[in-house]
Amino acid sequence: MMLVNYIGCVILMVLGLYTVVVKKNLMKSVIGLGIIDYGVNILIISIGYQKGGTAPIFTPGEIKPGTFFVDPIPQALTLTSIVIGACVTAMALSIVIKIYKKYGTIDSTKIRRLNG
Amino acid sequence: MMQHFPVLAVMTLFLASFLVVLFGSRNKVARGVIAMTASTVPLVLMICLIKPVMIDGQIISYWMGNWEPVSGWAIGIGYEIDALSLFFGLIVALTIFLSCFYSLKYMSRDDTLEKYYVLFLMLSGAVLGLVLTGDLFNMFIMIEILTFAAVALTAFRNNLDGPLEAAFKYLVIGSIGSSFTLTGVILLYEQLHTLNMAQIGALLQKTGMNPTTAFAFGLLLTGFSIKAFIVPVHPVAADAYTAAPTSASMAMASMVNKTGVYGIIRLLYIIFMTMGLSSVQNLIVTIGTITMFLGVTMALNQHDFKRLLAFHSISQIGYVITAIGLGTALGLSGGLYHAMNHTLFKGMLFLCAGAVLYAAGTTNLDKLGGLAKKMPQTCIIFLIGAFSISGLPPFNGFVSKWLIYQATYEKAAESGNFGFAIVTVIEVVVSVLTLASFIKVSQSVFFGELPPELENVREVPLSMRIPMWIMAVLCIITGVLPGQAYTALIQPAVNAVLSPVKYIDAMMGSGYAEQFISAADAAPDKSVVLAGYWQPINWLILFVVLLAAFTIVALLGKNSRGARSHSDEVTDGKYATFYSGEKSEYSMVGGSDMFWGLKYNLRHYFGFIGEMHSGVVNDYALWAVLIAAVYLVFSFVCLL
Repeated sequence: MMLVNYIGCVILMVLGLYTVVVKKNLMKSVIGLGIIDYGVNILIISIGYQKGGTAPIFTPGEIKPGTFFVDPIPQALTLTSIVIGACVTAMALSIVIKIYKKYGTIDSTKIRRLNG
Repeated sequence: MMQHFPVLAVMTLFLASFLVVLFGSRNKVARGVIAMTASTVPLVLMICLIKPVMIDGQIISYWMGNWEPVSGWAIGIGYEIDALSLFFGLIVALTIFLSCFYSLKYMSRDDTLEKYYVLFLMLSGAVLGLVLTGDLFNMFIMIEILTFAAVALTAFRNNLDGPLEAAFKYLVIGSIGSSFTLTGVILLYEQLHTLNMAQIGALLQKTGMNPTTAFAFGLLLTGFSIKAFIVPVHPVAADAYTAAPTSASMAMASMVNKTGVYGIIRLLYIIFMTMGLSSVQNLIVTIGTITMFLGVTMALNQHDFKRLLAFHSISQIGYVITAIGLGTALGLSGGLYHAMNHTLFKGMLFLCAGAVLYAAGTTNLDKLGGLAKKMPQTCIIFLIGAFSISGLPPFNGFVSKWLIYQATYEKAAESGNFGFAIVTVIEVVVSVLTLASFIKVSQSVFFGELPPELENVREVPLSMRIPMWIMAVLCIITGVLPGQAYTALIQPAVNAVLSPVKYIDAMMGSGYAEQFISAADAAPDKSVVLAGYWQPINWLILFVVLLAAFTIVALLGKNSRGARSHSDEVTDGKYATFYSGEKSEYSMVGGSDMFWGLKYNLRHYFGFIGEMHSGVVNDYALWAVLIAAVYLVFSFVCLL
């Protein structure tokens, strides 16, 4: 059934959050953010999917009585979300590179000059 | 014609951000002209909308590409401008204009400025779009653009120490918040099959809360709380405001955290309409009170001008959240008034910090001093800002804080809940602590002795002083004429928040809301009596009398004491008892030494909160997850 999608996406999101909270390596934090994003994307797609539905394109002639579409809006939302996720990753990685050049490390416990 | 104004304002900013990089990368004049034009246009358009929206009470709805609702279902992206949106729109447009004006001179010593303006205009467009949109997913997109423009602006001066680190922390916390928001939005879509906020508001009243919508509520509240930087996700705000170039910190402190406040108001009052529940009120007031107290105590501990202002910014947002969490018309008035005042005085104080950084090259409180002689105008503006934020009459902070005290206390009397009385006391204590830490700043930056290294400091150029003066004058106007400011701006916004039916009908066609919401739910109490709370003229007279008395006493005292004054006795340190025979060249009480007794007595508390702000990104992420967990547990326990 569809339930497995939802369980999968929740597992992905929790794994991503776990990575961000626990892992001290900044690269792993970036990977964690990516995993959260994939979890959300799977959730969105699962919500729009309907078993047996076709692609949401109105083509006269191909539409017969009884055919129905999957919901197109979540697919549009997922595309937007994927693009944003790619931007997040790119930007986070560029900041990590700069941090490595400046601090000589990507250990988050050593990158804490702004504190208190 | 008029209904195109909001979308034109947002589009101007986004279009200009591309034009700036096309034409402004070589040409300094073109860059300045494009940026200034783009930041002036939204302000003019927003001011043009005051008459129809604020005074005539219209609600402007605009469907992108004219995709109007089909048989009761919103299918297009809609912009909807009621008085609440316009209120925040005005704040945002004013901030954009002043920040851009200030940055022309302030940023002139940096290179790759076209990139600064691209990011700044992106940030501005996103913030303005967020407060004007009527579509939940569009709101999410604006949140994302805003977060990443703000992160990149934070990292702009990446040759320095702090910015990269602050940007990474902001990015991690910001994108956790965005993911929560997106999940919340999509869960609401799954339940209600629409993304339009007005329609969601109506349909939620019909279906009531089920586990999915309660889950979405918790997630959306977390997302907006992270945008408003309330405790415990505030450390990233302190880092980002400190590290960003000051014109960008001013923009972030004045408008970016307001988007979180706007989102929380929209979520609680219009979309979910849960503000009537006393459990929600208790939650929001608790969070707000913790925010205001923790913010101000952290500020007492700071040695950096900008970081101190950042923690005060967090503390003042706590006031706003507390006030809107009361759920009464008076509380909302106080909260919205304070949000407006916070934009004015906090923006102004950040601009003062920027002026000090520009002139003296540092914002370290222990290295500054005596700048009042060198920068008299900046000093006067700073004092106006400090009096305003501390809530001294006749400045604007007093009016809004007074309204908030009154609202909290009336809430205590009305609901019989003793907790609200304690909240009132905490509000007053926080106000006193705010004043204390601004005494510290004024002593260690503008008064006291001038360090020898700062002999050559000069007043900042006129084009940096003009935005500061504009804000100072607005601070005084909103403080001296609160009645006029209230009727013109706050009252319509409060009415708009408390009448969700009008909001829904304006978007979905009249009569739509009646199908779902009974008239009894839709007409909460909105009686606000402002008269009698606050008579500015009397306070002004008292202020003048006290000032005159103080001046006379000071003058008389000088004459009568004459040669006996302490400073005359030890004109030359050589003969003083406790000096080692050498005249001390420079002795100044540094910023860290002020209020030593208070800090020593409460050293365990200050040490503890200092350690909590460890600077490790994992800890901050953990707190973001923690607040999400609190909200989710709350929404399952109390809303179902």
